Amino acid sequence: MILIKQLLTSRGELENKLRNLLGKPIFLIEMDGFALPCGCSGATINTRGLQIDDLEIFEEHILKYLDDIAQSLEIDSSFMFARLIPGTSEIASLNLRMLCNNCYMDFARGSGKKPRPDIYILRFDRK
Amino acid sequence: MKLYAPHLGHLEGLEELLAGSDDIYGVYMAGSPEYVGTGRTNLSAPKLEDIAEQTEYAHEKGVKLEIILNSSCMGGQHLTPEGYRSIDWYFNRLNDIGIDSITVADPYLVEMLVKDYDMEVVVSVLSFVDSPQKAEFYENMGADTIVIDSAVNRHFDKLEAIKESVSCELKLLVNEGCLYQCPFRYAHFNFFSHANGPGPKPNVTDDYYYYKCLSLRIQDPELIIKSPWIRPEDLKEYKHITDIFKIGGRTHFVNWTLNVVNAYANESYDGNLMDLLDCPKDLKDLFYIPNKELDGALSQWKQCEKVCKRCGYCKRLTDKITQVYTNEGTERVLRPLHSIGEQQ
Repeated sequence: MILIKQLLTSRGELENKLRNLLGKPIFLIEMDGFALPCGCSGATINTRGLQIDDLEIFEEHILKYLDDIAQSLEIDSSFMFARLIPGTSEIASLNLRMLCNNCYMDFARGSGKKPRPDIYILRFDRK
Repeated sequence: MKLYAPHLGHLEGLEELLAGSDDIYGVYMAGSPEYVGTGRTNLSAPKLEDIAEQTEYAHEKGVKLEIILNSSCMGGQHLTPEGYRSIDWYFNRLNDIGIDSITVADPYLVEMLVKDYDMEVVVSVLSFVDSPQKAEFYENMGADTIVIDSAVNRHFDKLEAIKESVSCELKLLVNEGCLYQCPFRYAHFNFFSHANGPGPKPNVTDDYYYYKCLSLRIQDPELIIKSPWIRPEDLKEYKHITDIFKIGGRTHFVNWTLNVVNAYANESYDGNLMDLLDCPKDLKDLFYIPNKELDGALSQWKQCEKVCKRCGYCKRLTDKITQVYTNEGTERVLRPLHSIGEQQ
C-alpha cells in the first residue's frame, strides 16, 4: 500500500510541476509501477499534451522532476526515457527503468538519443 | 422524443440499462466484427444467438434494437464475391432474428439492405450527410433514417435545408465531442473500421489520432467548446428538425449511460459537461465545464459565421467558465483555467 500511495502522490506532484513549468494543463493519464519477465522494473507515466519540444527545451528541469520520483519510489534513476509516437511531436509516456542485463545490452549498443524511432533517451548512465 | 441509447452488447448490460430507465426508445449495439465491423471501438462481439436473445429481451420491454455495422472502410472486401456472400449471409441471419434496424455507412450496403431485407435501414453518422444533396441521395436509395453528420449540428441553415429536402426520418447524435471540422475524422474512423472489422487487424500500439485529439484540447481547451455537441437544455431548439436523438458511448459503463439518458430525457443537467460527452472521455478528469453556465451559448452559435479569428466568443467563454482539476497531495481540487502556470 505504501508504494501505491506513493504512486498516487507522485503522479499528482509531477503533473503540477509540469503544468507550472510549461503553463498548460499537461495531463498524466496514468502512472504505473511495472515488473517484466526479463528482469526489468520501474515506473511508467503516460502523458497527454506533452510534446517533444517541451522535453528538448526543459530537459534539465524534467530530469530533475523524474529524479525526485525515482527517489520517492526507490528506483535507480540511471535510465530514463520518453516514448514517442514515431514521426510526430507527441510524447506517449515518460519512463524510469531499471534494466536487466539483456535489455541493458540492447540500449548500450547505440550511442544517440534515439536508438529507436519511438524512444528519446533522457538519461542513460553506462555501467 | 425518441432517445436511442448505446448498449455494451451483453445481456447483463442490457438488463441493467433497461431496468434503469423508462426513457429509452431504442438501444443500439455493434454486431459481430467478422462480417462488416464498425467505425468505433466496441467492448463486445455478440454472436447471433446473443443478438437473438437480446432482441427478444428488448422487445419484451418495448424497446427497439438496432445493430451498428458502420465500418467506413472495408478495404474493398465487401465488393468481392466472397465478401458479398459473407455479408449477405449475416444480413439474412439478422433479418431472421427480427432486429428492428441496421445502421451502415457504406452506400453499397445501404442499397443491398434496401433491396433484399425487411430491416429498417439507417444511414450512419459516418456517412457524413451534411447537405440536402447527400440526404436526397440516401433517401432516393431507400434509406428509412439518416443520422446527420454531427459536424453540422450547429449549422441550422444546413439542418433546416436537409429537413426541407427529405421526408425520411432524421436522427441527431447529441453528445459526440469530436473536434469541429476534425482533420482526423476520416482517417480515424477508417483506422477504427479496420481495427474493429474482419481483419487483417492492424497491430497498433498507440492511436495517434486519439492522442493528438487529446493533446490539441489540452493545449487549447476552447476546442472542447467548439465541438458540435448538443446540450440537453438545447434539444428544444432542434425539435423542428427531428424528435429522434441518439446518445453516443458504446464503451461506457451502464451507470454513465443512464446518467446521460436521464440528462437528455429531462432536458437538463446540472454538472460537468464532460460527464455527458462520449469522447474524449479521458478529459473528464482534467476539465470541469459547468453545463448550466453554457445557457444561452446556442443563440450565439446559431448566428455564428464560424470565423473564429474574427469572433472569439468560444475563447472568451472557455476562459470564463472552464476549470481544471489539479492536485493537492492526493486530493483533487478545481482551479480556474487561467491559473495554470501561475505558480512558476
